[in-house]
Amino acid sequence: MEAPDIDLDTPSVTLDADPMLLKMGPAHPATHGTVRIIVELSGENIERADVQIGYLHRGFEKMCERGTWSQVFPYVDRCNYVSPLLNNVGYALACEKLLDLQVPLRCQYYRMMLGELARIADHLTCVSAMAMELGAFTPYLWMMKAREMVWDIFEEETGARLTHSFGRIGGMALPPTPGFTEHSQAVVTHVISVIGEAERLLLTNRIFLDRLENVGVMSADDAVSLGWTGPTLRASGIPYDVRKAHPYLRYGDVEFEVPVGVRGDCFDRFVVRLEEMRQSARIIAQCAERMPKDGPVNIDDPRIMLPAKDQVYDTIEGTIQHFKLVMEGIKLPAGEVYGYTEGGNGELGFYLVSDGSGTPHRVRIRPPSFYVTGGLESLITGQMIADVVPCFGSLNMIGGECDH
Amino acid sequence: MATFQIDNKEIPFEAGDTIIAAAARAGIDIPHYCWHPGLSVAANCRMCLVELLPPPGRKAMMLDVLRWDAASGQYIKESKPKLVPACQQSVSAGMQVLSDSSDHVVRARAAVQEFLLLNHPVDCPICDQAGECRLQDYWLTQGPNKKRMNDEPIHKPKAVDFGPHIVYDAERCIVCTRCVRVCNELAKDPVLSVSQRGNLNEITVAPGRRLDHNYSLMTEVVCPVGALTSKEFRFKARVWFLNSVPSVCVGCSKGCNSLTDYDPRESKVYRYRPRENQAVNKHWMCDVGMLDYARIHEHRILEASIAGETVPRKAALEKAAELLRGVSGQKLGVVFGAEFSQEENAALLALSQVLGAETFFEAGRTPGNSDGVLMQADRNPNSAGVRQLLNSEPLPGSELAQRLQSGQLTHVIILGSTLKDARACEQVSQLTSGKRIVLASHQGPLLTGANVVLPVTTWAEIEGTYVNVEGLAQVSQQAIAPQGQALPAFKWVAHLARALGKSVASKSLAAARALFEAPPTASAESSHQAGAQP
Amino acid sequence: MAQKLIELVRNEFSDSVLDSYSQHGDETVVIEPESWLALGKFLRDDPGCDMALLVDLTAVDYPQKTPRFEVVAHLASLRLGHRLRAKAAVGATDGTGAQIDSWSGLWGSANWAERECFDMFGVDFRGHPDLRRILLYPEFVGHPLRKDYPADRIQPLVAFRDAENIEKLPPFGPSEGMSFGRKTHDQWLTNRDAADDDL
Repeated sequence: MEAPDIDLDTPSVTLDADPMLLKMGPAHPATHGTVRIIVELSGENIERADVQIGYLHRGFEKMCERGTWSQVFPYVDRCNYVSPLLNNVGYALACEKLLDLQVPLRCQYYRMMLGELARIADHLTCVSAMAMELGAFTPYLWMMKAREMVWDIFEEETGARLTHSFGRIGGMALPPTPGFTEHSQAVVTHVISVIGEAERLLLTNRIFLDRLENVGVMSADDAVSLGWTGPTLRASGIPYDVRKAHPYLRYGDVEFEVPVGVRGDCFDRFVVRLEEMRQSARIIAQCAERMPKDGPVNIDDPRIMLPAKDQVYDTIEGTIQHFKLVMEGIKLPAGEVYGYTEGGNGELGFYLVSDGSGTPHRVRIRPPSFYVTGGLESLITGQMIADVVPCFGSLNMIGGECDH
Repeated sequence: MATFQIDNKEIPFEAGDTIIAAAARAGIDIPHYCWHPGLSVAANCRMCLVELLPPPGRKAMMLDVLRWDAASGQYIKESKPKLVPACQQSVSAGMQVLSDSSDHVVRARAAVQEFLLLNHPVDCPICDQAGECRLQDYWLTQGPNKKRMNDEPIHKPKAVDFGPHIVYDAERCIVCTRCVRVCNELAKDPVLSVSQRGNLNEITVAPGRRLDHNYSLMTEVVCPVGALTSKEFRFKARVWFLNSVPSVCVGCSKGCNSLTDYDPRESKVYRYRPRENQAVNKHWMCDVGMLDYARIHEHRILEASIAGETVPRKAALEKAAELLRGVSGQKLGVVFGAEFSQEENAALLALSQVLGAETFFEAGRTPGNSDGVLMQADRNPNSAGVRQLLNSEPLPGSELAQRLQSGQLTHVIILGSTLKDARACEQVSQLTSGKRIVLASHQGPLLTGANVVLPVTTWAEIEGTYVNVEGLAQVSQQAIAPQGQALPAFKWVAHLARALGKSVASKSLAAARALFEAPPTASAESSHQAGAQP
Repeated sequence: MAQKLIELVRNEFSDSVLDSYSQHGDETVVIEPESWLALGKFLRDDPGCDMALLVDLTAVDYPQKTPRFEVVAHLASLRLGHRLRAKAAVGATDGTGAQIDSWSGLWGSANWAERECFDMFGVDFRGHPDLRRILLYPEFVGHPLRKDYPADRIQPLVAFRDAENIEKLPPFGPSEGMSFGRKTHDQWLTNRDAADDDL
């Protein structure tokens, strides 16, 4: 073919240089969770970004004020819905902090095991979705299969795969099933092997690494200032984990490490979560050994726990107890408390204000992914549009928690 | 002020007080069932037992008891101080009472509670008292026990018809005898008594009689459990769905203080309860007043009408203005409403002044019998208030009929639907001469043949001040939202004045209230919290 | 553990600290709203406090109290390990005048936290670079977490279709969602005035 008869080095057309406004709207295949990111693009570079959340806002805090303290459990389930038991346990611990009471040892280990299984499920979802959005579909399916096995445990224990409402103030809804520890050990072993396989697929893949390394770097100081906690903060180099810094339940007795990243980029956030799953597996193994095989799971206080159903139907005391606890609610003492645990995405806090009646005056959930998503704007500014996908995926924004 | 101590807290008391009365006045609740501040002391429930430290220099009276020691599996001899009933023990200065801070007292209360629940039927789901039941409340707060008895509980008669308003359930009864004392002391009609012995105790009506005096519903009010229930209220509503506002009974001119319980979801009033006011009704209300709440929802005028035909409010208002336009004040009669509040009557008075009318009458319900205790013959809540506003006695109803017939009065504005004089009322309703503009909340004879009828709110739908027979002005709070098309009369007056090209400043409650100088009222507090049931 | 922290704060702000207490293991300090920004700077920059992490910032509505809203901030120091709850009360009984200084210049997390506080309660943060609604849509009227905002009010952006049983649409119909406990917040919904706009 002949060469064209024009000089290609000198531009003869000037193109419009206004930035382009692109709305990565709430329904977008690559942003899991409903969020709208309005980006101003110059070519492929993001000049400015505006992250708009709130599409899953359901008025959870207002609804809590219309029920009793126990009726909050279904609401907190639906906050971080990929690790609901961590929310249940976190809220129960906040209420118990206000009551100044400790649950029996068996319950503490039970809560830890269920919580760590939930954390594994959460991280499996995040990690595999991140990979899928970058084009790696296979690890997603493998990890979803592994997550199904975790959910099988939940189904056996709580009756539901996702929204369990299993926590109770002063204990759990039911004691562990007889095969719980064996079942969870088996599943966790399998999950670890699946993680290993996925790592082998992904972590030496040039394309995968290029898309994640040095993309979306958040410095440690900036992360702290933005209120980041959890895996995203640890990826930026700060070893803050509520389970280590302010141990609750039996976390002070078990051995585990807190993986910390180096660069604070998407890759670190990815690998920190993989490592955390391994640490969760360690915790589960230790709890499985230490959990007492029998004994009560719930405290024995009639002012807080519901009675057995045969007592309710046959004795007046059981009926009265059931009536008072359901109709008026557990009377948490007047005062306020901030109870915090390590949720799937960071410090999950509950600020409870009680006026002494059974109805909460205020239930504030401190959602870790709310603050983490608040940093998305500064994370993607200056990056390319294609980097939004791994950046957003690495933050693990859970819509239910972020928007409550 | 002389004081004594409860749990190391100084409490003032008056001469003749018992411990429980002085504590109640200070806001401390000593758990009790049979004590009632308005009745004599029975001291049979033994729930209010407190430990009284002996005066200095004396030993406490001790009882020998056997305590079960689980470790050794044996009874061990011990002694514990004798506890005294707080409802019976009079207070003297410097007395030291231990209530919650004494272990003996705490154990005694738990024990009494356990015994009371021993044979109690498992009725909570169907019992009306659920949600306001002392057995439930004290079980939770006074050491929750589990049932230790494995035998069949004693069975007694249930759903016994005591009287026209009261149903009795003997299994739920704890035989506190509050109902017996109400009949004896308040109604002066000793128709109830305790029969049988031991755990077969029950309350019975005297043979050949029924519980039919005018204070039978007070037995239901004082009953701390669900043994006595009111036929009108039972199974109608659950108490935790009801909000309460302090109100004043409008059944007669006594102005007994009450609590109006309504369901905010349906805007419906379900019952009254008496509210304590030592100056007016002490702790009580009569049956007629207690059942008066039904009138809020029955026979109501909820729509405006012109000559008996329903029309939109605006059309009725304009017709009323058209009828009144240009009418000389001499020819205009105004009938004030003894059933309506001072705010509404004051607005009507302001309208009369603006229109130049000076011929005043009074509408109200026809008088009945007084019962010698609370219920007054005058069945209107605000007759004294109307007289205060007018500063004189209104003209009798017969005058109204006569002047309308003779043409001395051509127009009349009426706030109400009946006249106190039944015959005059009948006459007025038959009249064809004279234009009648009626502001009414209920149906009545005066609406027959009225030219314009404007719907007015009842006492439960708007806050109002009512002056009782003793001249005491009391405020009744709003319970439900105005029903149908009804408006408070002071709003109608403001709109009517505006339609006539004049002005009466009564568009809001505050403005209407400013129209009369309310004397310092022994009023209900503006709180929506229910008063505690003694 | 954070007792020393309270003493530091009390010494620095001796005339504006209204109260401080320790409850269930949490330390709280209540301060006058005029000193809010100075307190934030002190807590962040003073080496004895070093509260680099603003954990949460929210508000609570106490309709019976004056001032009505209590702005509550939870802070933590990652290095020193202590935590603090700081509170300041703003706002008149009718909800107007709720203004306080913004901490968005001190901590990045305050940006979104204050936006949410404004969205839910109507608290105005002076100096915030971009105070707009975050969880609700811009056309929303009112501040839902206030006690006098009825929980069953619906504000649809598009009118409902003319269909049956429209009042049973979510969030809930008139007999659902009622608190079982005797205590409700309906006493703050005081506007039951008779509507007479047609006259």
